[in-house]
Amino acid sequence: MVEILKIDNLTKKFKLSAKQRKINKTTDTYKVALNGLHLNAYKGEIYGLLGPNGAGKTTTLRIICTLIKKDQGTILFDGINLDDKPALIREKIGFLTSELKLDDFFTPNYLCDYFGALHHMKKEEIKERKDFLFNKFGIDKFKEVKIGNLSNGMKQKVALVVSLIHDPEIIIFDEPTNGLDVIASKIVIDYLMELKAAGKTIIISTHIFSLVEKICDRIGIIFDGQMAIEDSLANLTKNETLEELFFRLYEEKGGDLNA
Amino acid sequence: MHNIWIIAKKELKRYFTDFRMIIGLFLPGVLIFVLYNAMGSIINNVESLPEEGIIYVENEPEALKNLLDGTPFTIKRSDTKLSKEAALDKLQNEEIDLYIIYEEDFMQKVQNYQVDSGEVAPAVQIYYKSASTKSEQLYTTYLDALNNYETSLSNKFDINKDQNINYDVTVTSDIFQELIATILPFLLLVLLFSSTMGICAESIAGEKERGTISTLLVTPIKRSELAFGKILAISITALSSSVVTFLGVITSIPKLMGGYASGVELYHPVTIILVLFVIMMTVLLFTTILTILSTFAKSVKEASSLAVPLMMIVLFVGLMNFGIDAHANNFVLYLIPIYNVVQSLTSLFNNTINPINFLLCIISNLGYVILGVMLLTKMFKNERIIFNH
Ligand SMILES: Nc1ncnc2c1ncn2[C@@H]1O[C@H](COP(=O)(O)OP(=O)(O)O)[C@@H](O)[C@H]1O
Ligand SMILES: [Mg+2]
Repeated sequence: MVEILKIDNLTKKFKLSAKQRKINKTTDTYKVALNGLHLNAYKGEIYGLLGPNGAGKTTTLRIICTLIKKDQGTILFDGINLDDKPALIREKIGFLTSELKLDDFFTPNYLCDYFGALHHMKKEEIKERKDFLFNKFGIDKFKEVKIGNLSNGMKQKVALVVSLIHDPEIIIFDEPTNGLDVIASKIVIDYLMELKAAGKTIIISTHIFSLVEKICDRIGIIFDGQMAIEDSLANLTKNETLEELFFRLYEEKGGDLNA
Repeated sequence: MHNIWIIAKKELKRYFTDFRMIIGLFLPGVLIFVLYNAMGSIINNVESLPEEGIIYVENEPEALKNLLDGTPFTIKRSDTKLSKEAALDKLQNEEIDLYIIYEEDFMQKVQNYQVDSGEVAPAVQIYYKSASTKSEQLYTTYLDALNNYETSLSNKFDINKDQNINYDVTVTSDIFQELIATILPFLLLVLLFSSTMGICAESIAGEKERGTISTLLVTPIKRSELAFGKILAISITALSSSVVTFLGVITSIPKLMGGYASGVELYHPVTIILVLFVIMMTVLLFTTILTILSTFAKSVKEASSLAVPLMMIVLFVGLMNFGIDAHANNFVLYLIPIYNVVQSLTSLFNNTINPINFLLCIISNLGYVILGVMLLTKMFKNERIIFNH
């Protein structure tokens, strides 16, 4: 197994504005989002980052994608330190959230050209990739229709295609099925399995157990910005269900289910 | 550079192929043109009709009674004897159009007058009311005719010579045209601001709201490139919108001022170019400020509401200028953003611009724009601002 992502001792504090302090009913000036997090992901697997709301999943994924800066810790991507070559890593990463809404005004075809160009792809490369993806997701007929006129399911598929136009090696997907209808989430899940079959590495974050049980090879559960446990799904669910494990850890960490 | 252009191209496509955006950007200029021309033709219609003018003349020499023959005016004389006060009153109320006073025995004195004698020349006084187009036109016509006659006599009398008398009986509140000239800088400012606001609000806040900002920032482009690309596209768009607004205004002014064939005759070409220059600087300044606000905002809606206080300031500064002539001496005023634009535009429209003040205005605005763009690239690197939803 080749380790493609190795994260050690990751920390991240957010400075809280006066407004945020009021909303969170706290007097702290900082919110510790990540507190010495470790994470190891291997090439070709689907890794599930599981945790309650506010555990630090989005923050972790954003740091991996170089969208925000870490405070401390090291991140090795295929052996390369993220601090040294952030641009190189961005070429190999595809980042996607289910919250992504493309600009209503443009067509799938145009947006693919646009993001392809920003990823320094050649015209022929983009065209080849578009043909493949449009065909796969049934976008062919709609490629010249403005996003605003597409159905919600189709919009989600186009967002997926646009984010993956550069054929990234590692796909980072924050809450992939959040807010999707059953059909759209099935399409997404099927495609994730296909990407895995094609040798890509996929890291998803979610709080949905069934999704993790269905598609993930390995799992990390995080509470309060720390990795509580990380192992293969098979190992973790030998003696208890994933859900039982999750809540046992949650209570061990001092979480109160009745709070 | 290539990346900047990729970003800018998409934004430009967005602005220039969206009918609603186009309307928002270019309608103001077209509207000004249509509106002012309509107003202008109303004024001009009144003017172009051959008029019946009523004049009241004291001591009118027999030889000058037919002075206005051959002009479009038919002259009627008000024969009842009037006091000076009563005559001026009638002129003010537009019951008569001109009030002319010749010296007693005018022709006799003119004949006896020696130009090089050093004595005071015989005088004619002509009172008129510039707010009444008829009176003003009649005045010009009469003055022309009288001047021609005088030239044929080799300068033997003076017309409206006394500097202490205001021969135009118009009171300030009457001056419709001048009012519009005062409104222009204000109007320009508001139009430029609102059309820039439309495109700026969406530019960055839209990406944040939709989440596409993340998709953009995980591509290998630099954040500064994204910022520059956005600014470039908005500037190009806002500038072309401002050129249309400018053209609308400049082609409309002459119509309003009445009688002038084209704007080029009213203002020196250099003045017109300088006005365009000020307008472009202003638009760049607005673009920068509004883009900064759009970057701060979490959503397009918030960006628009953040722009409202700024709109208020622009309105206020524009209004402050009413009825006040531009300050020529206090150069510090030309360093205050927005205010310096109003000052410069007003003095340009009055033909009283001071080159140093003008330069100060342009340079300080350029400085603010550069500072703004620097701030913007800083903001793009700040995750608290970019991911603050
Ligand atoms: N920009 C920010 N400013 C302040 N606090 C933040 C910010 N982003 C995230 N946080 C806080 O950090 C913690 C982790 O957030 P997040 O990573 O979004 O959690 P998750 O994705 O697991 O729900 C939360 O408590 C959240 O409130
Ligand atoms: Mg999250």
